[in-house]
Amino acid sequence: MLDLLVIGAGLTGLFAAYTAARAGLRVRVIAHGAGATHWHAGTIDLLGYVQNGEEAVANWAQALPELPPAHPYRLLGVETIATALGEFQRLTAAAGLPYERLDPDKDILASSASEKRTSQKEGPGQQVDQVKLGRNGQLISPVGAARPVYLAPTAQQAGTLHDDRPVAIAGLAGMPDFYPELIAENLQKQGRPARSASLPLRQLTDRRDHSPLQLARLLDQPAAQAQFAEMVVDVTAAGERVGLPAVLGLNAHLRFLTKLHEAIASRDPRTSQPDGGREARLAVFEIPTLPPSVPGLRLDAALRTQLQRLGVRVEIGMEVCAFHASGGRIHWVETETGSRPLRHTARNYLLATGGILGGGIWADRRGRVKETVFDLPLTAPQTRSQWLRPLFLDRRGHPIFQGGVPVDNFLRPLDQAGAPVYDNLWAAGAILAHTDPIRERSREGIAITTGYAAANAVASGQ
Amino acid sequence: MKRMQTEILVIGGGATGTGVAWDAALRGFRTILVEKRDLTHGTTGRYHGLLHSGARYVLKDADSAVECISENRILRRTHTHCIEDTSGFFVATPEDEDDYPDRFVAACRRLNIPCTEIPAQAALRREPLLNPRISRVFELPDAAADSFLATHATAQAARQAGAKLLPYHELTRLHLSGGDGNRTVTGATVLDTVSGEDLRIDADLVINAAGAWSGQVAALAGVEVKMILGKGVMLATNARLTNTVINRCKMPGDGDILVPIHTVSVIGTTDERVAAPEDLPIEQWEIDLMLTEGDKLVPGLSSSRILRAWAGVRPLYQETQQSGEPTHDSGDSQPQELPEQASPLDSRDATRALALLNHQQRDGVRGLITITGGKWTTFRLMAESAVDAACEQLGVSRPCRTAETAVPGVEQGHYWLGHRLNEVEDEELQSELICECELVTRSMLEGAAQRNPTVTLDDLRRDVRLGMGPCQGGFCTYRAVGILHELRAGDSSPVAAEWNVAHMQSPAHHHRDRSETEVHAAGAELASDPAPDDDSPQRSAAVDPLSAVSQPNLLLRDFLQERWKGVAPILWGQQLRQERLDELIYLSILNADHLPVDDRESPLSSFYRSDSSLSGSGL
Repeated sequence: MLDLLVIGAGLTGLFAAYTAARAGLRVRVIAHGAGATHWHAGTIDLLGYVQNGEEAVANWAQALPELPPAHPYRLLGVETIATALGEFQRLTAAAGLPYERLDPDKDILASSASEKRTSQKEGPGQQVDQVKLGRNGQLISPVGAARPVYLAPTAQQAGTLHDDRPVAIAGLAGMPDFYPELIAENLQKQGRPARSASLPLRQLTDRRDHSPLQLARLLDQPAAQAQFAEMVVDVTAAGERVGLPAVLGLNAHLRFLTKLHEAIASRDPRTSQPDGGREARLAVFEIPTLPPSVPGLRLDAALRTQLQRLGVRVEIGMEVCAFHASGGRIHWVETETGSRPLRHTARNYLLATGGILGGGIWADRRGRVKETVFDLPLTAPQTRSQWLRPLFLDRRGHPIFQGGVPVDNFLRPLDQAGAPVYDNLWAAGAILAHTDPIRERSREGIAITTGYAAANAVASGQ
Repeated sequence: MKRMQTEILVIGGGATGTGVAWDAALRGFRTILVEKRDLTHGTTGRYHGLLHSGARYVLKDADSAVECISENRILRRTHTHCIEDTSGFFVATPEDEDDYPDRFVAACRRLNIPCTEIPAQAALRREPLLNPRISRVFELPDAAADSFLATHATAQAARQAGAKLLPYHELTRLHLSGGDGNRTVTGATVLDTVSGEDLRIDADLVINAAGAWSGQVAALAGVEVKMILGKGVMLATNARLTNTVINRCKMPGDGDILVPIHTVSVIGTTDERVAAPEDLPIEQWEIDLMLTEGDKLVPGLSSSRILRAWAGVRPLYQETQQSGEPTHDSGDSQPQELPEQASPLDSRDATRALALLNHQQRDGVRGLITITGGKWTTFRLMAESAVDAACEQLGVSRPCRTAETAVPGVEQGHYWLGHRLNEVEDEELQSELICECELVTRSMLEGAAQRNPTVTLDDLRRDVRLGMGPCQGGFCTYRAVGILHELRAGDSSPVAAEWNVAHMQSPAHHHRDRSETEVHAAGAELASDPAPDDDSPQRSAAVDPLSAVSQPNLLLRDFLQERWKGVAPILWGQQLRQERLDELIYLSILNADHLPVDDRESPLSSFYRSDSSLSGSGL
């Protein structure tokens, strides 16, 4: 008998499954499709903006009180959030796809960290160490805006805006999903030294599909890599770092990244020189593109590899079509197969099907908004006229995207009376109420932290 | 102030105004046209795309029906490539009156509109999604028309004949001379909304072809033209549900037309009388009504994915007794059908026939003619009557030539749905696609941007169908902004001197043009007719670094909002999900709402911002 059946294979479901499996539970993941990981930028956005935010959040822990009281982050608390993110870093490091913080001053903090830790041992233990929490950094978006990001994979690290090296944005001529001139101009408007360059894509390939995924597959090939490295070196000036579209391969992009760095460094000794006592900073970085997202695909693959090592099966193509519950407990769910429904039984169930984008919530023409698996109560407005605001970019976001499943502190879905709907059901990720992860730029943060917390709640028998 | 002089000044760049400019130029008049936004920005660009056979009006508005069938035949010759020869069905559903079909057939016969009854089973074989409970089906020469392309083609024909067309020039003043009872319109002042400069145009005659805005234009000359503005709401589905135009065989009503146009089907329309031609609210009940009525034609239509909703305003006109003698005598009378509150006429019952107002006879104001009413189908006829009246006022006799003159591109033959895909596959242009939904290639976009005095992505949408497909600009908005910015940043290569609007929608043509591997022969016959200087390609405002509208962040923001206006009324189900993906792209990945702030606005920023399309929103 499974201890936990996770429904949904996005970042939430996969990280929850990982957490539960590491806690010793028998876990399986079933999902209709692959989740939204394939679409996002591949960074971990924790909390970029709070209510009506013009200014990006720098210190996320201090911004939490500005969130609604029932916001998932406030249910979890700073300590759980920080621990969950630490666990995520541990997972990705083990998978060979390390995610690091982007704090502008993490090095300064790191140097004083050891002392602080010592002093904290004697402290009350309630106050959370700023060093442990860290702050948001800023990365360059594909249109040249500053994206508030908490953790970034190695390939995106050197794109941080807290780095005074001038930037050359190099695109592939003819690639439809990346515009270096536009990025460079918007960086200049923000006072950042930047210029753009164009690499002759047609010298690399005569294939006609120039989607980020196809280009990444192309750049998995050694011959294409060598040629590409030559082009990049050609357009790089001394002392610059080069921003490239995130297409540097699917399988071994870090090795390629190092090769590119070395190729540039060999031409420009300054590049590899230590700077202010820090280790050599990469001269190359990736900027995310329009979907499909190569960094997202890499993250998805890393998570699945780790789950496989833990013996967790991830079954895609299984949409839950029915369930059975009695006595306040769910007994089984059924998924569709070619011939007959397939029944899945587990002690506990975690709903991680996502919001409207992921398919966990469905809104119809009559104004009904439904949770698609268990028909759980939702906070979403059940009238179409209350769904949307007149301006697309309204900073308050659109109410339809803020509705979701209300939960208790253990992330158990609640009924109208405020009691758990089922004793063995938890919910996590974008399906949760009182958050709009896309407006807040908290998509991955919500996924990781609530997935982690729900899995722990299950493991500890809450 | 800059000053220009012309014989005929046309106000309005819709189908009618463009048609007037074409007609006048062909008759040898020096002609200037001004339009406050882009060509087709008004009703022309917001209608369902039906080339009427006239049958819809045979029992209600015989004059309009006769005008329609006659123009239908002419436009098939003059604007062939702008028309898809879909043919049309009039179908009697169980909900419709039993005796209507017989009266309908008799009226078609009387008005000489070819009408063939075909067995319902045969119709269902051709259009399997039609309501299987239809009892009678009539086939008529209705068709689908691309009003954007047709207007651009007419515009190019007008330019080739010597007319000067000035989009983004807004009329601010009509100049009059003389005292009461002897006033004459002598010209106009217009505002170049891109540069912000005024331009004075002296004209022997001004033709008001401003459609729904005609009343406002006439008012500038102190003349009252009371328009009956009928708002129509339309919805586009994400696929073609039928390949034939479908009409209900009944008195015209709401939601009884289904037109296959390009990749979508359009269901329309409502007819609500409104006070002003702008800020058109789309109410939830109107959407629901379209879907409910649509189900009667194609069961299940209401659960298909809806891409977009929009509203256009019919510029209807019926001369009332108190404002002079009627210029148009409507053959049939409907007052007894009117609901009591309707004042003075319900827009559904107002005639669709054209109205020519000669203000010299009507109001004692010389130098001004208003042409209004009518249908898109009858735009050429409207232009003809307006220019006939102009000849009369100017005391010359020059016959109309538009009925025998084809616009550029007719040699392509009728439009067919597969043309873009065919070209993309033949020429292996897959990597060039900027908009996968509508098969728009990079070179089409560049061509349109360089050769059009265009200023917004919305213009590109009308020119090449950018962003009109299922993702509603989700992917192509960013790409188009990037490409326009590249055009500006790089020294944009000089454009080919020979430019044929007929190829605006052709992926392959532009590609060849761009790669300079092939001299295109398609425009050969036009080349023998040297284009006047002012037809030379204009540098796009979007490519001019000094123009406010060249700001990429502004283009992006405006187009996102423009798309939002059209999708917000129909967001539910899969399309709501699609919109959330678009949010993910523009907020989460691009952070487009935190781009460097630029307070400048394009001429259309406030228009897109108008929250009227969400008037039903309680927020």
